[in-house]
Amino acid sequence: MKTSASKPRAIHLDPLAALRERRVIVCVGAGGVGKTTVAASLALRAAVDGRRVIVLTIDPAKRLANALGLEELGNVETRVDPSRLREAGLDPKGELHAMMLDLQRSWDDFIMRHVAPGQRDALRANRFYQTLSTALAGSQEYIATEKLYEIYTRGDYDLLVLDTPPTSHALDFLDAPKRILDFLGNDSMRAVAGPALAAGRFGLKLMGLGGSYVGRALSRLTGTETLEELSRFMLEIQGTYEVFKDRATKVKALFASDEAAFVLVTNAHRSTIDEAVYFHDRLVDERMPVAAVVANRIHRDYLGELPTPSEDELHQALQDANHPDGGEPPLAVRLAQTLAEARSMARLDRRHLERLEDATRPTAQLRIPRFDADVYDIPGLWAIDQHLFPRD
Amino acid sequence: MSLLDRRLLITAGKGGVGRSTVSAALALAAAASGRSVLLCEVNTQERLSGLLGTRPVGAAIGRLAPGIDGVVVRPEEAMREYGVMKLRYQALYRAVFENRMVSRFLHFIPSLPELVMLGKILFHVKERRWDLVIVDAPATGHGITFLGVPQAILDTVPPGAMRSEAEWMRDILLDPRQTAVNLVSLPEELPVNETLELAAATRDVLHMSLGRVFLNRFVEPRFSEEERMPALGAHEAPLLEAAFRAARAHGIRSDMSARYRERLEEALRFPLTTLPLLHPSRDFGRSSIDELAELLEREDL
Repeated sequence: MKTSASKPRAIHLDPLAALRERRVIVCVGAGGVGKTTVAASLALRAAVDGRRVIVLTIDPAKRLANALGLEELGNVETRVDPSRLREAGLDPKGELHAMMLDLQRSWDDFIMRHVAPGQRDALRANRFYQTLSTALAGSQEYIATEKLYEIYTRGDYDLLVLDTPPTSHALDFLDAPKRILDFLGNDSMRAVAGPALAAGRFGLKLMGLGGSYVGRALSRLTGTETLEELSRFMLEIQGTYEVFKDRATKVKALFASDEAAFVLVTNAHRSTIDEAVYFHDRLVDERMPVAAVVANRIHRDYLGELPTPSEDELHQALQDANHPDGGEPPLAVRLAQTLAEARSMARLDRRHLERLEDATRPTAQLRIPRFDADVYDIPGLWAIDQHLFPRD
Repeated sequence: MSLLDRRLLITAGKGGVGRSTVSAALALAAAASGRSVLLCEVNTQERLSGLLGTRPVGAAIGRLAPGIDGVVVRPEEAMREYGVMKLRYQALYRAVFENRMVSRFLHFIPSLPELVMLGKILFHVKERRWDLVIVDAPATGHGITFLGVPQAILDTVPPGAMRSEAEWMRDILLDPRQTAVNLVSLPEELPVNETLELAAATRDVLHMSLGRVFLNRFVEPRFSEEERMPALGAHEAPLLEAAFRAARAHGIRSDMSARYRERLEEALRFPLTTLPLLHPSRDFGRSSIDELAELLEREDL
């Protein structure tokens, strides 16, 4: 009974209120846009404001991991030493915790729980399992949200901030549960392996597929051994489909509730913004609350409101300040070139960001300038926060 | 041996470092030397035609520029082509591929989608319709998995259809006279770390030959230390204040460029090709790629 009027529309959320009130913040966006630093910075802010926060990161830069006091070991919740925060001049009213997600281990932990002990080693060695837990598009995203949900239901933290895996396609995140369920429960697999499942035994011949027309053609493409491996996989894993389905439904309900909010991170490149706009539309379509669109690494225009100076004007300004204009080419020429280059990059960014804003309003728009050097420490995370939420 | 005399060049690197840019510029440089080129993108949103300023080509081979053809290799079409080749008989082909369930099922077979995509690319290397095939590989992790698929199949799959495919494919990939992997990096922490890991994986895991490392968006020094930190009065003109802030930021970037070049050269022990950070007045597109291609033509590739 859907009409076009019932199509969901973006609603405005106050990002600071979301940090204070929601229990889960999910940072999403294309790879390489700075999701990890934004996630860490948001978590830091909530901790300073008094909440007990954990940031779940996937593959942080080594120096950022060090700054957060994270060891190489994955899946260990660690409190960031309050003295580190005090050294940075912060007086947190809450607690900041961090954890590096080990996605392969999370898969093993999750799935082995639902498989008979005697079958675990065989399952781990099965190439279909390896595909499911590593290569299948969305498998990392899926298990990251699964781990998030596990910690969420334990209730030890006021707020969980999730930094999602560095996939090239941000949309993998939303499509992940469907892909995993397709893989485990898909009709195609059941059709091929089904007879064996029903008979509770395996082997291509026993599957009743060996003699069939389609079966013969398939085995010419893949080899019979692959089909036998598949039927073993389907047998070992058949009890878990309902578990997956149940968890995926619950995670989705959590993400769509007012307990959670998404923060969409992008940079100012044209293609990244295209993807961010598309992703924003999808989140809105699926009725997922979006707290903010964060545009990161925006080029600065050092001139601000000033007109672009000519070489002569800069030469004159240097003379007026009794500053030598030397070198080859002269300093004034190089300064003029540098200012003009920075301005052209900043203008290009601005054009793309206007498009981003038009396409994602009324979602709150937050901006972070490009820093001269990359951010790897607590003061750097706090500096990001001051751009996200400027104090007046 | 000259880089462009190889039959297959693979461009690898972290997401966002400029793999497509380098692939397109290399293709233009090769075409300028009289070679015919096929540019392949792997299962991704098409970018190369946009960079070269032409219409999208999609999954059917099409012209991108004089001497340069392009194609987006996707699992669906590659699977179909492989199926037709393997099953030969039209009736058999229909039974498999026009059965929706079965054709969907094929995509779940471990490594089969990668194998057929790589197979399509390597088929074009083998048929020698082009002098050079350039592949814009998937981003780092996926790229290693992708190129390692033939070996993985040879390690785990008993003799059969997939294995015999994997054998001839691995032979082309591992032949240093035919194939080289080019890496693209940026003068920043994470991309440099990833480039070093990728170089090690290319040599030690894939056993493939490294071609060049392209250090993209490189900033040459423009201001001396003294020029960046001028002794200016307290009430400086806003214009000079802005100018020296810009000079300092430029200095930090050029220092980083020098430092990361050194780190890469020390760790890899072979020279890099630097590509400058460009400042296009409009969007980064064909004119920028032309600029980089001209630089590459002057390099001794």
